[in-house]
Amino acid sequence: MDSNTNVNTSITRRILQSRSAFLGIIIVALSIAASFIFDAFSTMLNLKSFLLNLSCNSIVAIGMMILLISGAFDLSVGSVFGLAGCIAGNLMFYHQANWILSVFIALIVCIGIGALNGTLISKVGVDPLVATLAMMGLVRGFALIIGGTGIIGLPDGFLKIADSKLLHMRIPIWYMIVIIIIFTFLVSKVVFFRKYYYIGVNEKAANLTGINVVKMRIISFMIASGLAAVAGIILTSRLTVALSSSGEGLELRVITACILGGASLSGGKGSVMGAVMGTIFVALINNLMIIAKVGSYWQSVVIGSILLIAVTADAVLNKSRAE
Amino acid sequence: MKTYDIYHTSCYLDADMQKKPYIAFHGITKTFPGVKALDDISFDISAGEVHAIVGENGAGKSTLINVVAGNYHPDSGHLEINGDQVRIRNYAEALDMGISVVYQERSLVPNLSVAENIFADRQPRTLLGFINKKKMCEETEKICESIKLEVQPNTLVGSLIPAKQQMVEIAKALSNESELLILDEPTATITEKETEVLFRVIKELKRRGICVIYISHRLLEILEIADRVTVLKDGKYVGTHNISDVKIGDIVKMMVGRDLYTEKYKPSYEKDIVLKVKGLSSKRFFNINFFLKKGEILGFAGLAGSGRTEVARGIIGADSINNGEIYLFNKLVDIKNPEVAIGYGIGYLPEDRKEQGLFLNMAVSNNIVSGSLQIVSKRHIIKEKEITIIANKLKERLNIVCPNVMTRVEQLSGGNQQKVVFAKWLLVDPKILIVDEPTRGVDVGTKSEIYKIIRELSSSGTSIIIISSDLPEILSICDRIYVMHNKRITGELTRNEATEEKIMHYASGIN
Amino acid sequence: MGKFFILNNLQVKSTVKKLLQNRVLFLLLLIFIIFLFAGIAYDTFVTENNIKTVISNMSIDAIVTIGMMILLISGVFDLSVGSVLGFSAAINAVLIERAGFNPVLSIIIAVVSCICIGIFNGVVIAKIGVNHLIVGLAMLGVVRGVVMLIVGAGITRLPDSFLVIADSSFLKWKLPIWYLVIIAAIFSILLRKTVFFRRYYYIGGNEKAAALSGINVVTMRVISYAISAGLAGISGIFLSSRLAAAIPTLGSGLELRAITACILGGASLNGGYGNVLGAVLGTLFMGLINNLMIVSRASISWQRIVISGILLLAVTLDAVIKKSGVD
Repeated sequence: MDSNTNVNTSITRRILQSRSAFLGIIIVALSIAASFIFDAFSTMLNLKSFLLNLSCNSIVAIGMMILLISGAFDLSVGSVFGLAGCIAGNLMFYHQANWILSVFIALIVCIGIGALNGTLISKVGVDPLVATLAMMGLVRGFALIIGGTGIIGLPDGFLKIADSKLLHMRIPIWYMIVIIIIFTFLVSKVVFFRKYYYIGVNEKAANLTGINVVKMRIISFMIASGLAAVAGIILTSRLTVALSSSGEGLELRVITACILGGASLSGGKGSVMGAVMGTIFVALINNLMIIAKVGSYWQSVVIGSILLIAVTADAVLNKSRAE
Repeated sequence: MKTYDIYHTSCYLDADMQKKPYIAFHGITKTFPGVKALDDISFDISAGEVHAIVGENGAGKSTLINVVAGNYHPDSGHLEINGDQVRIRNYAEALDMGISVVYQERSLVPNLSVAENIFADRQPRTLLGFINKKKMCEETEKICESIKLEVQPNTLVGSLIPAKQQMVEIAKALSNESELLILDEPTATITEKETEVLFRVIKELKRRGICVIYISHRLLEILEIADRVTVLKDGKYVGTHNISDVKIGDIVKMMVGRDLYTEKYKPSYEKDIVLKVKGLSSKRFFNINFFLKKGEILGFAGLAGSGRTEVARGIIGADSINNGEIYLFNKLVDIKNPEVAIGYGIGYLPEDRKEQGLFLNMAVSNNIVSGSLQIVSKRHIIKEKEITIIANKLKERLNIVCPNVMTRVEQLSGGNQQKVVFAKWLLVDPKILIVDEPTRGVDVGTKSEIYKIIRELSSSGTSIIIISSDLPEILSICDRIYVMHNKRITGELTRNEATEEKIMHYASGIN
Repeated sequence: MGKFFILNNLQVKSTVKKLLQNRVLFLLLLIFIIFLFAGIAYDTFVTENNIKTVISNMSIDAIVTIGMMILLISGVFDLSVGSVLGFSAAINAVLIERAGFNPVLSIIIAVVSCICIGIFNGVVIAKIGVNHLIVGLAMLGVVRGVVMLIVGAGITRLPDSFLVIADSSFLKWKLPIWYLVIIAAIFSILLRKTVFFRRYYYIGGNEKAAALSGINVVTMRVISYAISAGLAGISGIFLSSRLAAAIPTLGSGLELRAITACILGGASLNGGYGNVLGAVLGTLFMGLINNLMIVSRASISWQRIVISGILLLAVTLDAVIKKSGVD
């Protein structure tokens, strides 16, 4: 939902105003240019590995986007991402538990962490930055304890989660596609999710209009943690080892992708497609730099600079519009 | 730094000084995109005069203050102070010239002490250049004592009640050795006792030769304290008169251009009681008892700070209550939050529509459907076309002026914004609607449209509670009126018994 | 007898409330408790050597925390200080080791370039109006990337003339501690007693009101970011001197530690609260907890859990008290 569109503006204007479309064009342009410049880019191998890397990040980004739409954010998703794999791995390896049960328990615990975040932030009133910052450390600590230096020897059933193929593409890509489709539909069309936009624009007005802000915030944090957990399980299955350091720095990467994709830290803006486009864009830049054999150090410089330029341009444009 | 002590000075005004203008406006014009806020304003104010400036919302009072304070620069025209043309580039320069403004919105910093607020950025220093805390506290005590404000200089401002905070604001302005003091709605949040003190202080300032510009909607107060009154209307200067020469009716006529608003009254209420409140109490109000009949328009009058908004918020569950019972259609109900309230059929249209009633960044249509998403959706799936259709219907019905329903609400005028909020609630269609200051910041034309909406609602069976500080408004549309003073209900009047004096009587706590 | 009991209960509640609100007192109490328990449980804890090591280690962190505290008082924070610390160490090391500069000159260049980064941050945030969280995030990545580019795997052969900075002692305490004492004393006086620095409390408490009082908020913010980056730069010099190396990950995670220490020390993310003593005590507290975990041989994961848990507890208590006060 893009509250900025005015029916009477031209197509070009509307594309510029729709962040996802704008990013989409840039992505396509970059891809075309890259396929000419680098032979290694347009190979099936590269495309597959690109999509694979994308799949986990985009799932987490969708959860973060919902939070950002409602005017909140969660710095602990990276730690939850790692914890999920560790809990499942620990249960399967050290306690010989059934893999379905282990995954289920891991998901429940992570969703519970989301509920805790949501309660502290919206019911008790703790600042979201501090609450999720502290939670990030807490959860990572527990992930380290539960997962130790890494857990291997995971059961076949679990490994099949990410290992199978469907129509020549690895399953994680399909998980990503399904989740994207489901959430794009939910967030843009369903009454429940529409309310997050209202909460993001004006929490007090939303409350007085009869939207149960506390309940909805708690649910949004649960969704974010839940999706992070799902992504963490998928990654663990793909790597065939549960790493307690999984997901370090993920939250910042995901917030960057969402902001590039049109979210605003003050809330009320953004879309699932924007989150996906933002994630694709960041992943594309990373992929290009790897192919161009640019040092990995340049990657954070480039992404950081792009983020800075994007938000500065936004701010400057907003200022000129206001004056 | 000179000390400021209004009771121990021997500098009084002589008759000559009183006649010369201290500040004069010459052809001040200020335009903002789409609106001419000030149009060729020219008049003057003498030293030692209490000069009231009145006008409806949007008349240009705030803009004029901001020009004097240096926050806005006039497009044409100039200011003269003591006969010399001046250009005030920012508030710091205004302060240097001896101009202080006490704004309506708090300009205090809650985490710092009273002393640090009064001497904000002007703290007295020692020889070494460090802040002299002892001196700062002494000076603060002196200033506070002079306006009979009882606070410890070290108290954090955030821990003071709003009335005391307002007095600190005034103390802050006084500490500036002002020659011109501008007070913008100073009595909006203070009690009657403090208003008395404030008036005494103002009279002292007069005797010292200080110019006071007094902006207020409370015409009774203006009659009491001001020497002259200037009326602004739609950015234009209407006239200046000595207070002794005018009556309230004359002032209102100048402000509005016609007589006091009178509506044709048509009772439309029934006998059934839809809402009964017994012994409702919380931290913010005490022992509230009242009832509301079906289709009735019930007024809640009182001065700002009397607790009416708090009662409304308590009823709909936005704030917690300690005691008491609420009966809806004779059934006892427990309203935990606004969601539950709306479920029971009670809606609340807030006082501050920008902060609490509207989603400014969003389109008109999205605002209108914000409370009734289930109407524009089928099985939880939103139909965007439905939103536009319904929004257009309401836009027509309420005559909302905007390019189209996709326009962002923040671009609409105050009156039209209020209509959008009403549209939202019309769509929700509650059985009981509490409206808090329905016509605040609304132009005259839109006012009557809003009254029409309210009457339509009541004749179709919705019971309405109107909270308003606008006495003529309450008198003209309400069937019954409760008056609150200092967090309690002090009076109940039927339409026939009610007069402005009686309401003011109860609202001032006079028994 | 019953009435007396109720009175006591209320008194207890309000004393606890007052204690929690005066964060410095609270921290001192906690630190005292730590010493009490740790001293009894582990005899290696309260030795002169151990305590000196703890204080020496935390003093470098504390310098950065002081800079962060100034920002938090004014209502913002800087997520890039860790990267800036690394940047300063990197530039300094490269100039000394690869370009053969005089250590004094290279230190000056390093710190000045950090100040420039701070000014850049301040301008983008305060003048252009970009959200400070995002700018901090972006700069965190950009600067860290640059550090890694400059320093590669790490620069280790730093000359003795440079190592002297952190390695020598004065009155039996290592120099970094004295640097902290001086910096803390200076900024404590500045924040409490000068009109200029007092402005940060006004800006943090009510930015609009501060502007109305004639305070130039943009300039003040730019200066605060410059100070924070400058202090991070100075700490980077000290740290690389102590480690005798400039490694690419120097300062990683520092920003979150600094924010935690500030919040423990009484800062509020909304601005307007906090002081230098709180910042120092907050850092000391975290250093002691760290040390306690090491001494008790708890794993690193438990250290992280304990510190995060304490932070969470502290802010939750704060929020609960605030809510009970309002209602």
